[in-house]
Amino acid sequence: MILKWTLTLTILISVFMLGLGMGDQWINPLNASGQDAMILWELRLPRLLTAFAVGGLLALAGAWFQVLLGNPLAEPYVLGVAGSASAGAVAGLMLMPDSTWVMSAGAFIGAWLGIICIMFFSNLGANRMLLAGVVLAAFWSAILALLLALLPAQGLFRAFSWMMGDLSHSDLPISLLLLAWVGSLLCGLLLSRSLDMLLLGERHAEALGVNIKRLRQWLLLLASVVTALAVTAAGTIGFVGLVVPHLMRLLFGSLHRFILPASAMGGGILLMLADAMARTVIAPAELPVGILTAMMGVPVFLFLLLRRSQ
Amino acid sequence: MTALMTLENISVSRANKVLFSHFSCDIKAGEITVILGPNGAGKSSLLLAMAGLIPVNGHIECIGKTLCTDDRKSITQKLAWQGDLPPTEFGLTVEQRLGLIGDSPQAIQSIALVFDIISLLKRSLAELSSGERQRVELSALMLRDVPIWLLDEPTSHLDLKHQVCCMRMLKEEASKGKSIVVILHDLEQAYAISDHLILINGKGDVCVGSRDDLFNTKVLSKLFGVTLMQQNNVLLPNYAV
Repeated sequence: MILKWTLTLTILISVFMLGLGMGDQWINPLNASGQDAMILWELRLPRLLTAFAVGGLLALAGAWFQVLLGNPLAEPYVLGVAGSASAGAVAGLMLMPDSTWVMSAGAFIGAWLGIICIMFFSNLGANRMLLAGVVLAAFWSAILALLLALLPAQGLFRAFSWMMGDLSHSDLPISLLLLAWVGSLLCGLLLSRSLDMLLLGERHAEALGVNIKRLRQWLLLLASVVTALAVTAAGTIGFVGLVVPHLMRLLFGSLHRFILPASAMGGGILLMLADAMARTVIAPAELPVGILTAMMGVPVFLFLLLRRSQ
Repeated sequence: MTALMTLENISVSRANKVLFSHFSCDIKAGEITVILGPNGAGKSSLLLAMAGLIPVNGHIECIGKTLCTDDRKSITQKLAWQGDLPPTEFGLTVEQRLGLIGDSPQAIQSIALVFDIISLLKRSLAELSSGERQRVELSALMLRDVPIWLLDEPTSHLDLKHQVCCMRMLKEEASKGKSIVVILHDLEQAYAISDHLILINGKGDVCVGSRDDLFNTKVLSKLFGVTLMQQNNVLLPNYAV
């Protein structure tokens, strides 16, 4: 166990250094000066920290949604929050095509709209809540498609790059994202015992003393707020929230006091790495980071799944 | 013996249909009450109501206090409920599942001897057979040091050896003063351990009485709608076509 944690931390630090150094030209983070130092600390560092926080938040939200809905296929976007956020972002883009700020605000408002809709269903059982969420997601994606159809052509590129994940201009302050990362991890750790019990299903958890109604509402709210923050900061980045928690379960077991911190770090690592690649592969142009998360994460996950089942 | 749980004027319904109403009884310390009845009669619903896991019409008093479904903490200190096998999707190990009850590794080791699951402790629940998982659930129940145990078909999935083991364990725990309410389908087992029977016929009737009053061919044949024959203390159905 200690070995695994040391390894995770080592990987985190190496990826962090790598992320700082990589770009259209390599800058050694330990030995930079002048203009290089400026690029490093004022351009790359904020973006790297955003990637770390967003990745961690998505992975935490994924872990929560999976246990909340009792479904291993759940991920942060499953209940439609990403769809409503995207619709909001595109609506913002239609209103003021030149402002990134309005787009982010639109995403945040949209995400909240999605959260409020899903909270109406928090007292149904897990399966019905999931069903309501999936149906809501379909509704939001229809709204999104409608808005995209109405969007003037010059806005389409920005809309699409946002929808595939875009870390290049986050309007949320980095301190807020890092604070959210720490805060949600702490909340998660406080709830970790109840979350473990929830792995036995709602009725068994209740029989062991969990106040299931309250836990469900808090968890839904927490996971949704975290998702809303991540989406507002960086658009919709798929895959991290689904796979990182599973990856961490394969490595650290199912208890939440282990997988929550591991996911918060693992999600950060994956997204920092993906973003570093996205900036480098076709430099000086950039790829949407969502493409890279899936292309790097899927093989690793499938490999571990195969190895584990042997 | 003192009553640990008192049910007064209980009505149990499921999916908006009233299964039975106006049921009252006392559950006393050191006694085993077996609930018998056909499928869908409301046995599990009654047990869930007693565990405070579903709302119910009527009054339930549990160790001097009204049972309130929202007060999970106080309920958990008084009673334990064993129900369906929990899901296994997220790969808890047997040891971790037992650890959720909150006991020390030593306590888990010693309880694990009873249903011999020592060799399973490190394995994931998902890898086990239903019978093995049932043994894990019974061990989890045994870790709950509370005065009232409610069990929903504890012997389902179990092989003969562990069915016997389970029945003996329940008798022993009752002799130490626990109140035990258990749903069973096996009449031999019901006869072997029960002090009282609660019979629910699925047509809205429910009665409670001592085993010696109720355990006879006439009452039970009518309850299940099956002709039973008596051989010594055992009631047997006729399997011939």
